[in-house]
Amino acid sequence: MPGIDECLLEAMRLPGARGAAVVDWTSGLALGTVGDSPGGDHERTAAEAAELARLAAEHRAFAPEGDADWSENACPVEDLIIANRDSYHLLRFVPTTFDSSVFLHLWLAREEGNLALARIRLGEMAGRLVLG
Amino acid sequence: MTTVRMPSPPPLPLRQRAQIPSAGLSPMLDRLAGERATGVLMREGGMLYLSEGQVVYAESPATPGLDALLITRGTLDADGWREAVAQAGARQRVGRFLVDSGRIGEGALELCHLGALYDAAYFVLGPSSAPVHFRYGEAHWLGPVHPVPVAALERETVRRRELLHGIWPDPATDEAPLVRAARPAKLTVTPRQSAVLDRIDGVRTAADISRALGRPAFHTLVDVRRLAAAGVIAPSGVGGGRPSAEPAGGGTSPAPTEPTLPHADPHITLLKRLRDALEAL
Repeated sequence: MPGIDECLLEAMRLPGARGAAVVDWTSGLALGTVGDSPGGDHERTAAEAAELARLAAEHRAFAPEGDADWSENACPVEDLIIANRDSYHLLRFVPTTFDSSVFLHLWLAREEGNLALARIRLGEMAGRLVLG
Repeated sequence: MTTVRMPSPPPLPLRQRAQIPSAGLSPMLDRLAGERATGVLMREGGMLYLSEGQVVYAESPATPGLDALLITRGTLDADGWREAVAQAGARQRVGRFLVDSGRIGEGALELCHLGALYDAAYFVLGPSSAPVHFRYGEAHWLGPVHPVPVAALERETVRRRELLHGIWPDPATDEAPLVRAARPAKLTVTPRQSAVLDRIDGVRTAADISRALGRPAFHTLVDVRRLAAAGVIAPSGVGGGRPSAEPAGGGTSPAPTEPTLPHADPHITLLKRLRDALEAL
């Protein structure tokens, strides 16, 4: 049962990982960060990623179960993938048994990174992070 | 040719602007961080516990505490929590005890604890002119879970004020009992917002709703300001009858009739909201 810091360090061991963070998407707060972030400012990146996560979480087109609760065992949206010219951003929602709005954010170099592997691993990490 | 002289319109009433102090939330807190102090800082809005200059716990009457967040949604049962406090409270190791006894995962405790800490600190560090006290040496019963530097906490608190201000500049809905609009605009309400909306009864404040939901109070304020901006809800004091009794706590009974905004005409409501928003800028 790892804590936030162990979880982030584990994410950084993925091939191509540039940086990672645990972020609250309601407030935009970075609860933990490791490595680099685009522009070098983790707090700003967290606030921007939170906006993206919030839109996905709140719009019916992406979160189809309208009455689903984001703090139950399964989130209506599992993850978001942004691909740009040289990197991927992977946002993985973290289900908790208490009321929360948390996701893991992994920034991955496109050449060295393996998106499929990162998706699987990040999902496992999100589950282990809150294992009771 | 006739000239019609228009009388100049009466001046609009001016309201106090929302104040966002940019830095220096608490000079005393900065000094205590500098000297790596241990103890409890008591301000009008609540308390911050420091350990060697870092914040280890925050509590405020405006927010549900860590225990409420964990118990309300069933992550922990109340007996398990009481047992942990009884077993490990005296030696300030409740957090460690909860994890070691398998009641909660380390990551889950850290996430909930940090959420509660930043949430309470937002209210503790709110504007206040009341005297501030610090008691040296006092440790919190939870024990260290995930200490936060004072500078990070202050930065986040200022950012949160700006976030709320950006959503809707009028802070009136933060503390007042809330009412629903009589004829709200058509709006898609998110699941988290509808949980808030369902509990609005003309008596409950945002803080009461947070306690009922077991949700950090700042999270409720974000949704409340969004709903206020959309004209779906309003503070109940606006030009109408304020409920006579203040809510006594989480368990107050809802009002029998649902009070609504005094202005039933949606156009007038819209104009008033526009005026309020412009004044608050």
